[in-house]
Amino acid sequence: MDFIPHDDKTIAEMLKDLGLKELDDLFDDIPKDLLKTQLNIPPGLSEPDLLNKLVKISEENKVYQSNFLGAGNYFHYIPSLVDFVISRSEFYTAYTPYQAEASQGYLQAIYEYQSIISRLTQMDVANASMYDGSTALAEAAIMSTIITSKNIVIIMEGIHPEYVEVVKTYCWGQNIELRIASQDDLMNNLSEEVASIMIQSPNFFGDIEDVVEISKKIKKSAPNCLIVQVMTDPTCLGVLQPPGLTNIDIFVAEGQAFGICPSFGGPGLGIFTAKQKYLRKIPGRLVGKTKELNGEREGFILTLQAREQHIRREKASSNICTNQALCALSALIYLLSVGSHGLREIATQNIQKAHYLKEKLALIPGYEILNKKPTYNEFLLKCPDIDKFIIECKNVNILPPLRISSYYPNMKNVLLVCVTEINSKESLDKFLDIASKFQENNMGDS
Amino acid sequence: MDYNLREDIKYTASHEWVRVDGDIGVVGITSYAQHQLGDIVFIELPNIGLVLEKGSNVAEIESVKAVGDLQMPVSGEIIEVNKALEGTPEMVNSSPFDDGWILKIKIKHSDELGTLLSIEEYKKIIESEGH
Amino acid sequence: MDTKIIFEKSFNRSNRNFITKMDVIAKDLTEIIPTSLIRKELPLPNVPEVEIVRHYVNLSNKNYGVDTGIYPLGSCTMKYNPKINEVIARIPGFSQIHPLQEDNQGSLRILIELSKLLTEITGMEGFTLQPAAGAHGELVGLLIMKKYFENKNILKTKIIVPDSAHGTNPASAKMAGFSIIEVQSNEQGEVPLDHLEYAMKQGDVAGIMLTNPNTLGVFDRNIKEITRIVHENGGLCYYDGANLNPMLGVCRPGDMGFDIVHLNLHKTFSTPHGGGGPGSGPVGVIEELIPFLPEPCLISNKDGMICVERKDTSIGRIKAFWGNFGIILRAYSYILALGAEGLSRVGRISVLNANYLRHNLKKRFHLPYDRICKHEFVLSDKGIPNDITTEDIAKRILDYGIYAPTIYFPLIVNGALMIEPTETETRNNLDRFIDILFKIYDEAKENPDILKKAPHNTPIGRLDAVLAARTPKLRE
Repeated sequence: MDFIPHDDKTIAEMLKDLGLKELDDLFDDIPKDLLKTQLNIPPGLSEPDLLNKLVKISEENKVYQSNFLGAGNYFHYIPSLVDFVISRSEFYTAYTPYQAEASQGYLQAIYEYQSIISRLTQMDVANASMYDGSTALAEAAIMSTIITSKNIVIIMEGIHPEYVEVVKTYCWGQNIELRIASQDDLMNNLSEEVASIMIQSPNFFGDIEDVVEISKKIKKSAPNCLIVQVMTDPTCLGVLQPPGLTNIDIFVAEGQAFGICPSFGGPGLGIFTAKQKYLRKIPGRLVGKTKELNGEREGFILTLQAREQHIRREKASSNICTNQALCALSALIYLLSVGSHGLREIATQNIQKAHYLKEKLALIPGYEILNKKPTYNEFLLKCPDIDKFIIECKNVNILPPLRISSYYPNMKNVLLVCVTEINSKESLDKFLDIASKFQENNMGDS
Repeated sequence: MDYNLREDIKYTASHEWVRVDGDIGVVGITSYAQHQLGDIVFIELPNIGLVLEKGSNVAEIESVKAVGDLQMPVSGEIIEVNKALEGTPEMVNSSPFDDGWILKIKIKHSDELGTLLSIEEYKKIIESEGH
Repeated sequence: MDTKIIFEKSFNRSNRNFITKMDVIAKDLTEIIPTSLIRKELPLPNVPEVEIVRHYVNLSNKNYGVDTGIYPLGSCTMKYNPKINEVIARIPGFSQIHPLQEDNQGSLRILIELSKLLTEITGMEGFTLQPAAGAHGELVGLLIMKKYFENKNILKTKIIVPDSAHGTNPASAKMAGFSIIEVQSNEQGEVPLDHLEYAMKQGDVAGIMLTNPNTLGVFDRNIKEITRIVHENGGLCYYDGANLNPMLGVCRPGDMGFDIVHLNLHKTFSTPHGGGGPGSGPVGVIEELIPFLPEPCLISNKDGMICVERKDTSIGRIKAFWGNFGIILRAYSYILALGAEGLSRVGRISVLNANYLRHNLKKRFHLPYDRICKHEFVLSDKGIPNDITTEDIAKRILDYGIYAPTIYFPLIVNGALMIEPTETETRNNLDRFIDILFKIYDEAKENPDILKKAPHNTPIGRLDAVLAARTPKLRE
């Protein structure tokens, strides 16, 4: 199939209007030997054939009944109005709102998104969003070096390993020195040359860090060093202290948890926020409220564009053009759907259910919870036989937790377990049954 | 177009002006430069005490659709910035040679003053840019 | 009309519609989390479902999309977004798949198959689908260049970018640590070979970033010479694929001599722009550069299983997980639907439509580069009566219920109006667009005030951009 409306007669008439005979005449200026006669691609498919083919490919993937896998991408319930709103084609088939007067709908929605993210995080300014959490963190690293005119960025242990890799790549591009430090030797690494320290909380292993305390300590010995916080599941902000009430200068997060389906990890949503004093250094789009030139009505417009690449070109702090508008819209509708009461309840359930599982697992011989700090919806579980455990999960239609050794080869027999509000007690108990089946004194029986 | 250029100040080819009084220079951008930029919305002012060489970028001037650099007309130390511009950057549009001054410098090498342009020389620069 | 923002529609009523019943015995929260870590206020609104739906349906009515009508934004390729792609993206076997789960061969198959198709379409040898957008792809392409030279122990610090390039090109080059040499286009809108050769001979030049057809919509006839000169001087050639649409099935960047290509799946391959994202910006390379592609790279085993291949030479990761899979899937579906023949019709008809508009509009408007164009062309506001500006024209176009072209870009044309109709517009739509522009031209002559104060028929009048930037109000 194709989506070209012209019939042959129309094409012939249009060519005639141009004084041309055939379509190939439109390419007379291209050297003949560059013209490709035929692409080696199969013939087109009709809609039903296409659908059949793709459904078949999708069957090579497996959708599980219940899930215990998180690690940066989360299964939360998505209210049906999220997909309803983002399926309005006036939204999803629009471009970046260059012509503000014909794009008031989207501009207002993005303004509302910036507002709701700002309220949720208590940070002064939220931008219109970035590609995802990992690139938002990398942009925060670069931004911190621009603000401070310093060239060292410290990453604290516990940041999502793929995010660390992304920050490494971006920093290499700009010759920024990147150091990785544990909490214990953080203070030894602090110097006048450090632009920023980046910390994840809740961290990759599930620990909720005491950001207030850590950031106080940092600011005490290095007052000009910026502190960047990142998180991968911001539903926790329904319960946890927001970064805006701490010493955090830049806060970024992956927003996939807010109404965006896993979709094999993309698209996601890069939430990017900062303190007011850094407004002019924030990368990406910003929507502002203004007034009509010849009237009194209020409206919305892309603003502070002189920061951006299309005006500042090589002097811009980032090359980013667009935001992830449709994903930002999803997050907005998600947060509105659940509201303050709902988000608090969701976060509470994540904590309570994960805690329930943690407590019960700890009682089973051979199992150990490795987290020493409070956790949100993820925790590290040491188990007697990880391979058997994972196979059995799959057998009973459970998506097993992450084998943490896939990122940290030294941490053998450890799972990163994730529990969200959609894990029913029944699924948690099923998980406990598997654990009991493969407990230490029972291994021979299976 | 007449840009109300002043006789009592010196100019640069990159559209700054300097009013010299002893070893102190007051610096701004010319009426021509503000016209080219359009409505100015923000000026990023430097820290006081900074010492910069002639020609280095010292401040950024943003309009809605463009951004321009203010360059040091001669080498020197920043001794004062026009704080009023933080709230009302539009003064650079309305009064580029008076209220819209941007910074004061302590001139390091007075011999560099000779490299600055007179009003006549600067007029020629504007004409050569086609305006 | 209702102009309230959503926060004004809040009630203090708890809504539990979207929350499962808590079925484990809850403890006191402070037994699990120290009080100091628990927030006190959560100032989110609580809006009834019906009001949320109405609010955003009403907002959508104040927004223009491709499904509303012609969207002639130059360099943005606003073609029709087939609905079947939306259905496919929502198949649970794709949408509910976790990026770190093991039973993922279906998703990996999509990635590897699309890479193969893009390889054939562009004449490259290897692809990464990781970049999340065109600009992100540019960064990746330039980092590959950087790594390539680092690996050879050759210091290269500069990149040539013509003045007709997209603004992202110089910004991306800077993010990869390069400085820019700008080369001015000649009166044909092409890269002057002598200037190019001179610039390349300046020593540490890594190569060139080029769009072909360029932002004037003009195909650079010397393209083979250009790539030859760059290669002979030890450089690499980067193809900005934002303008690939007219080349589909017609002419491939690889055959032109390019070494690195980025594509915009949301332009050329019909995935929706989403109001500014999510997009996808895959990067293709010649064989010699495959070792430098970002992680993760995929290979197909003998037994047909797809797995990740580690390469020490890779530039590293540039995004978590696998790229914007949901967008990649839509593009894959589009290419399968069209097949070879459909794709080459896309290239040809997008050029036919653009030339049809160009040929007719130049009867009134100034066309600074007057020759057969490709997918787009650029008019200027020169000669329009009564000092009417490009912005006035754009705003007046909105009054006729359609969207305006890209304005004031490329920078090399004063008062540019950059027009790209795409292949999916009917002749009637094109004729109507021409009529509207002619009418506006007449209005400029007879009633200029109506243009200067435009738009009049939109939900709001022309907005004060200066006020917005001087006193930024970015949230409630």
